[in-house]
Amino acid sequence: MKKVLSYLRSMRFGILLLSLVALCSVVGSLIPQQHEAVWYVQNYEKLHALILTLGLNNIYESWYFILILCLLALNLTLCSVLRVRRLGRSRENEISAAAAMPDQVRLSGQGVEQLRQRLQTMRCRRSDVGQSEVYTKNGFGRYGSFLTHLSILLTLLIGAAALYLPTVTDRTAMPGEAVVMDDGTEIRVFDFSIADESGRLDFTSEIQITLPDGRRSERKPIRVNYPMSFGPYKVYQQTYGTAGSLTVVNPENGGADDFTLTDTVFLSLDGVSGLWYQAVYPDYLMDPSGNVTLITSTMGRYENPVYEVIVARGGTFESVLAFPGDEIEAGGLVFRFNAPVEYPGLRIKHTPTLVNAALLAVFALMVAALYITFFCDPVLVKLDAQGYAVGGSKPERMRVELASALAEFEEKEREDTP
Amino acid sequence: MKTLFFITFAVYAVSVILEFTGTAFKKDKLLRAAWLVFIAAAVVHTGFLVARGVAAKRLPLSNQFEFSNAFAWGVALFTVAVCTRMKTEWLKVIAMPAALLIMTYAALQPMEIRDLMPALRSAWFGVHIGSAVLSYAAFVIAGCIGARYLMVARQEKPDKKALEQMDFLSYRLVSFGFLFLTVVILSGAIWAEQAWSAFWTWDPKEVWALITWIIYAVYLHLRLRAGRKGTRMAWYLVIAVFVVFFTFAGVNTLLHGLHTYG
Ligand code: HEM
Repeated sequence: MKKVLSYLRSMRFGILLLSLVALCSVVGSLIPQQHEAVWYVQNYEKLHALILTLGLNNIYESWYFILILCLLALNLTLCSVLRVRRLGRSRENEISAAAAMPDQVRLSGQGVEQLRQRLQTMRCRRSDVGQSEVYTKNGFGRYGSFLTHLSILLTLLIGAAALYLPTVTDRTAMPGEAVVMDDGTEIRVFDFSIADESGRLDFTSEIQITLPDGRRSERKPIRVNYPMSFGPYKVYQQTYGTAGSLTVVNPENGGADDFTLTDTVFLSLDGVSGLWYQAVYPDYLMDPSGNVTLITSTMGRYENPVYEVIVARGGTFESVLAFPGDEIEAGGLVFRFNAPVEYPGLRIKHTPTLVNAALLAVFALMVAALYITFFCDPVLVKLDAQGYAVGGSKPERMRVELASALAEFEEKEREDTP
Repeated sequence: MKTLFFITFAVYAVSVILEFTGTAFKKDKLLRAAWLVFIAAAVVHTGFLVARGVAAKRLPLSNQFEFSNAFAWGVALFTVAVCTRMKTEWLKVIAMPAALLIMTYAALQPMEIRDLMPALRSAWFGVHIGSAVLSYAAFVIAGCIGARYLMVARQEKPDKKALEQMDFLSYRLVSFGFLFLTVVILSGAIWAEQAWSAFWTWDPKEVWALITWIIYAVYLHLRLRAGRKGTRMAWYLVIAVFVVFFTFAGVNTLLHGLHTYG
């Protein structure tokens, strides 16, 4: 049991697991992920059986990959627990080892006092061991690898929470309308615009979020890279669409209704005659004899929009193309075609409060911990009545600093002596 | 603008030719000249980066040309810094051609200045890509030191002190590079969440950055804990540089993902 435990927390096991993560990642990046099974059958003549059996088509969600990550978390946990126990002890050991260092430089009584003051101004931490004083600089450097491991462990755990706990929904809303979430949160779209910069479209929606408790966000624009966060919600400008816009007038009573349409729909008074709305297209080509070819590519803006509709009149159907400004009469209604309306596709992410903040805090911890591990090595100075010694893995700088402090002091002494 | 790039390229090339000739014929004067020309190239290169940034009205780090150009600049900068501070003459003959090699790769990329696409307009752009430049450059220099180590270690009477220094220096550079690669990955995750709503999507570029991170994490464990040094670790660093190159160039050309920008 002890052997198993010590293997589970060993660096060897850590390295093995890291190598396995790397190996799976290589496979995952070489084999396109998450296509339909038939895609692999078509594209990997010989290997598809192997790919599908081993789940290499969705490797990052396979049981063995998740198991490796769990074992990695276990390895880091056990290693960190062990380290916590050792950290206190290692500090004591280092200090008593430093106290036992033979003096490297001999000093007079005054020199000792000078150095003591200097070490104190350098914010070194003092520990007394018998007749000696041990000063530690960058003592926190000892915790570097512990903090690094801890931050990686927390990144794995909180990262998993940040990856799996949020719910993400993609919704569309016409300008002026609102999306209402299951919990009653309302996301209202006031405006949507597209800036066209030499073929690279930049979409902006102006939105406002109202939470179920009545709290309301500011009314702000969202764009790619600039989502809006409010409460547990984050709303992204994801895509856009173009909807047909029709005004339907009833000449009998003078009533007029505006419709914004994205799907096929039948507009009629009696259910027999009227207009089947089909779609709106971005552009068309017209040859000299007036024949129109529709362009279906929806990349970019709708430069010359054209509507495709079917007009139903008492059981007969006629396919018709209409342009903004046109009017068609059918079934006692007048259908007026307007310029199409652009609307945003929003991505709405709901994350349990604090998950994101915790993840960011752990990221900051990881960078700080690595910095401490690499660049803050503890230095120990032993000072006693006869002299001093410097220890630690990188004592050179401290040696130079102390030597120059003493030289400065001697220089001053000489100047002060008449 | 193109002219300035090719002038920079030519100055690097001259410095490398001088370095090789000086090394082959053991001519100190040539070597000194090579070094001065290399520093001049690095200065002109800095000028080119600034000019490009001013012309594009943004950090010049956006496409494959700009990134590889900055990457070569990072390698040159590290070479100058390390050689000046640590008096590592032995590094020059391998680090100088490395900078030129990356410049050659840059020269083969389309160079025109393009507007930053909306997906790249973010405060994280500079942090993420700037850290990548520093990190990759540090890894490349560490790899150069590894290669030099292997060359020296093969000699009949290798200079033990120089080997010790190489070993230590490459470890320092890896720690520096590793810290910045961590910043690259973490800032990338934060940025991805801002732009695409998920911190991590297993996009090939992300995956290869992670693989690179793991490779150097393993190196650090072997060094820090197991105390491994010497020829084997030098080989490790040389091989690891190929992974860095794949992450930097191979992923964009051979694999497809969200990071395939202009
Ligand atoms: C996912 C990543 C990592 C895993 C799974 C891992 C795992 C381990 C394990 C199991 C040990 C042995 C623990 C012990 O015996 O005390 C260890 C030691 C160590 N690791 Fe890591 N590690 C990881 C990342 C890192 C990173 C990024 C660094 C950065 C420098 C690092 C630095 C160290 C150091 C310095 C030691 C020696 C510990 C000591 O003796 O204080 N580790 N690692």
